[in-house]
Amino acid sequence: MTDQSSDRFSIDPNVAASTEFDVVVIGSGVSGALIAKRLGTQGLKVLVVEAGSGNDITVADYEESVFRFYGAASKDNNAAYYNPKNAPMPRDFETVRLRDGEINDRGYLVQKGPFEIDSTYSRVLGGTTRHWEGKALRMLPDDFRMHSLFGHGRDWPIGYDTLEPYYRQSEAELGVSGDVEDQRYGGLTFGDDGYVLPMHKMPASYLDQVLARDVDGMTVELAEERFELKVRTTPQARNGIPNKNYAAGAGFVPNGAVSVDQAEMGGRCQGNTNCVPICPVQAKYDARRTLVQAMASGNVVLLARTVASKVLVDGVTGQITGIEAKTYDHPDLPGATTRVFKARTYVLAANAVENARLMLASGLPGQNGLMGRNLMDHGYLLTWALMPEPIGVMRGPVCTSGIEDIRTGKYRRNMAAVRFSIHNDGWGWATGGPYSDLYDAVDHGNLYGASLRQGLIDTVACQVLIDCMIEIPADPGNRITVDPRYVDQLGNMRPVVSFDIPQYTLETVAFSRRLTQQIYQRVGAKDHSSYDPMAPGWVTHNGEGYVVRGGNHWAGTHLMGASAVDSVVNDRQQSWDHPNLYLAGAGSMPTIGTANTTLTLAAICLRTAEDIIARLTASSIAPAVGA
Amino acid sequence: MSIYKIKDLDSLRRHVYAAMQLEHATIPIYLTALYSIVPGTNSEGYQIIRAVAVEEMLHLTLVCNLMNAIGGKADLTTVGFTPNYPAHLPDGEEDFMAGLQPFSPQAIDTFLKIERPASLKHGESNKRHRPRKGSMLSAGNTGDAEEEHFFSIGEFYKAIETGLDDLYAQMGDALFSGDPALQVGPEYYYSGGGGLIAVTDMASAKAALDLIAEQGEGISGEIFDEDGEIAHYFRFQQLVLGRFYREGDQPDHPMGGPVEVDWASVYPIKSNAKITDFPAGSDVRAAAEAFNAGYTQYLGLLTRAFNGEPNLLVDAVGEMFRLKELTYQLMRQPIGDGSAFNAAPTFEINLA
Repeated sequence: MTDQSSDRFSIDPNVAASTEFDVVVIGSGVSGALIAKRLGTQGLKVLVVEAGSGNDITVADYEESVFRFYGAASKDNNAAYYNPKNAPMPRDFETVRLRDGEINDRGYLVQKGPFEIDSTYSRVLGGTTRHWEGKALRMLPDDFRMHSLFGHGRDWPIGYDTLEPYYRQSEAELGVSGDVEDQRYGGLTFGDDGYVLPMHKMPASYLDQVLARDVDGMTVELAEERFELKVRTTPQARNGIPNKNYAAGAGFVPNGAVSVDQAEMGGRCQGNTNCVPICPVQAKYDARRTLVQAMASGNVVLLARTVASKVLVDGVTGQITGIEAKTYDHPDLPGATTRVFKARTYVLAANAVENARLMLASGLPGQNGLMGRNLMDHGYLLTWALMPEPIGVMRGPVCTSGIEDIRTGKYRRNMAAVRFSIHNDGWGWATGGPYSDLYDAVDHGNLYGASLRQGLIDTVACQVLIDCMIEIPADPGNRITVDPRYVDQLGNMRPVVSFDIPQYTLETVAFSRRLTQQIYQRVGAKDHSSYDPMAPGWVTHNGEGYVVRGGNHWAGTHLMGASAVDSVVNDRQQSWDHPNLYLAGAGSMPTIGTANTTLTLAAICLRTAEDIIARLTASSIAPAVGA
Repeated sequence: MSIYKIKDLDSLRRHVYAAMQLEHATIPIYLTALYSIVPGTNSEGYQIIRAVAVEEMLHLTLVCNLMNAIGGKADLTTVGFTPNYPAHLPDGEEDFMAGLQPFSPQAIDTFLKIERPASLKHGESNKRHRPRKGSMLSAGNTGDAEEEHFFSIGEFYKAIETGLDDLYAQMGDALFSGDPALQVGPEYYYSGGGGLIAVTDMASAKAALDLIAEQGEGISGEIFDEDGEIAHYFRFQQLVLGRFYREGDQPDHPMGGPVEVDWASVYPIKSNAKITDFPAGSDVRAAAEAFNAGYTQYLGLLTRAFNGEPNLLVDAVGEMFRLKELTYQLMRQPIGDGSAFNAAPTFEINLA
């Protein structure tokens, strides 16, 4: 356990409540951490408020999470983290198949359907980057002009070229491994100055190489366009071999393990394959790295175990006057102290669901009523098969390669964009393997001893899973709301999710199923994909049934736009209604294309930090923290 | 003042070889204590020992780079390279034996002696020449009849540095006649502190030696080096004193977070176990032999990596996982000889 008395970063809640900060940031995830780091470096005084435990800045605390995961019966993506009753997190196993009109309120998220989404997020120091897998893909230029080009979803008020320099900064902040040459597709550009990523690519797994033999050169025709497929390595925020040529030959020094006390651990990826929910050696980026750097500036302090409950507004000017938050002593026992924290500028960086929840719970749906609407995520169709020979499953990060060639094209007028990831972790995501393979071998195969070991090798080592990550465009009907009937232990209203999958996305679900069947056929793998009509996520299209899983890529609930009429924030993530409020993170993204949201939200948050710095340093600086 | 100086290239190479032996000799000692900790317990202790062990691997690589730079051969497979534990360290410290022990107060006491700071200024030495004794490692010998004895690793490295200075004054850049292609560069190592330095000239040779001294043996007696990293001696001391050091602390008075130690959550392994301690024909004996065969292969892989195939260091990571697994297999098993001890790797590799 972290000894609070020796933890230089935490601030006493009473001291925090009596301090006027330059900026209060709600949420210590990647958005909040990046903004806090940039502001702190510029001398601005920042308070970071975290709902979960702050006891995660020593390696001993981290190990506790690793061993919690090792010991957990359910290996879901929050299995490594303590789930406090006072700041609960969604768990995927709480998702159930909903009957018509049924509401599922058994977990923290209240699901109204009709589609039940098993996405989650983590309320811990560092936010959901604690359990993210670490893929660090850029969005494509076309993704920013979705509506103009394809007539679906929304356009961004800014384009790829505006974000390109911020993508580079994000790749440095997150420490991305990858090969730019593998990323030249779909209109992606990386400037003309010989840009390389900070670290060399994660080597393609043996499975990737075996698949590439048969997949490379395969052609697909879509909307009269021909696409040639190629297995490409995936850029990821995971420590690998630093690239000597980075930054014009200056090289790159990776960040290691996070610890206030010096107990280094955290080299490069060792291939443990449990990136989700936790990397045992801290090779994977999580936002604590940025947070600790932020706090090292001496200008950023942390207040953990504190759940923001209300955003206070001056009814005349629209300015935010404070944020009310509840600090609890015990993670599970009732009881908390409510205080108001004040600053010149406020940043909500609690993720797309929690930002909207907090605003709506504060009675702030926005003048246009868009707060919480346009909720997006990726729909994942999982397909799995057995290769004809062992291909070395369970080595390497979860994914090292994917198929990217059809991430955009004219076909997006008719159906959603898709990319494919090849999994090194066997059927885990789809079937719960290899644990379920063990139960099966024992219960149904009656195997034991040496034959059990060999039996597992024979099955698990041949497993291949390809996930199909499919776009779900913004739709005002997909939304987060609040309802006073559903509150948590602290009395905060819980997020209520209404979600459905459009036909546009289902078309691609069906297409992806067909394409992966072809791929498995080409590589000689036996397809084992099956979809249970009783499982949450069950959808049908043209008489065929599928199960669509969530991607934990919540977005869109406070999307940015060119005008206050049809968006919540401007292109700097500044609220149209409240000039001293920024809503930061994937909630601001009008489209999410076929990239997981982290790298792009990092880019827009770095741009937001510039904006805040420009505004606040133009006027006088607030008194020092604690002064 | 120095009694003995390194006067020729052969002598320098012999000392650098002893440095390779020295850096390597600490690794089985630290790994034995590290893996004797029951997983999930003693996390601070585990991390402290692990951090030091990883840096010893860095130091070994730096010394191999130096060896290659001065035209020697970085060979980890020679007879007698690995000591027969318990042993005196290759730099000839006589007052203690370093052995393979479980995580225990005695082990930490040994670690503190291994990493004890040199008390001397540059150019001074406590080195003594003694008649050779059979039980000691022979690499630090200066002749057939006698060998050098330094008080600490720091002093030993100071002697090497002084030797480098003197030979450079005589030979100039010709001292660094090695093939630069054999150097293992920074891309092959990083952890919390420091990085790999390719040694091609006097400046890089000094930088490599400085890094070893700063990280490990703490020549200056400071807790933190200029990169803000804690020297090994003070890292281990945290286990005795029960707190982490933070910057600004005085020696012996760490004020950081608590370091909790549970000496009971340790596999009861036999110290300095030998193959012959395990019953003939038993599974533990076979496993111990498999470990030694694996470790022998591993040293061969490293030797190739240090001789022109640095990419093999990436493969070596997988080998280290295999060795770790073999170690746990041994440490979880009672020897089966009626004693209360569990088995452990014996590291009887190419014994002299």
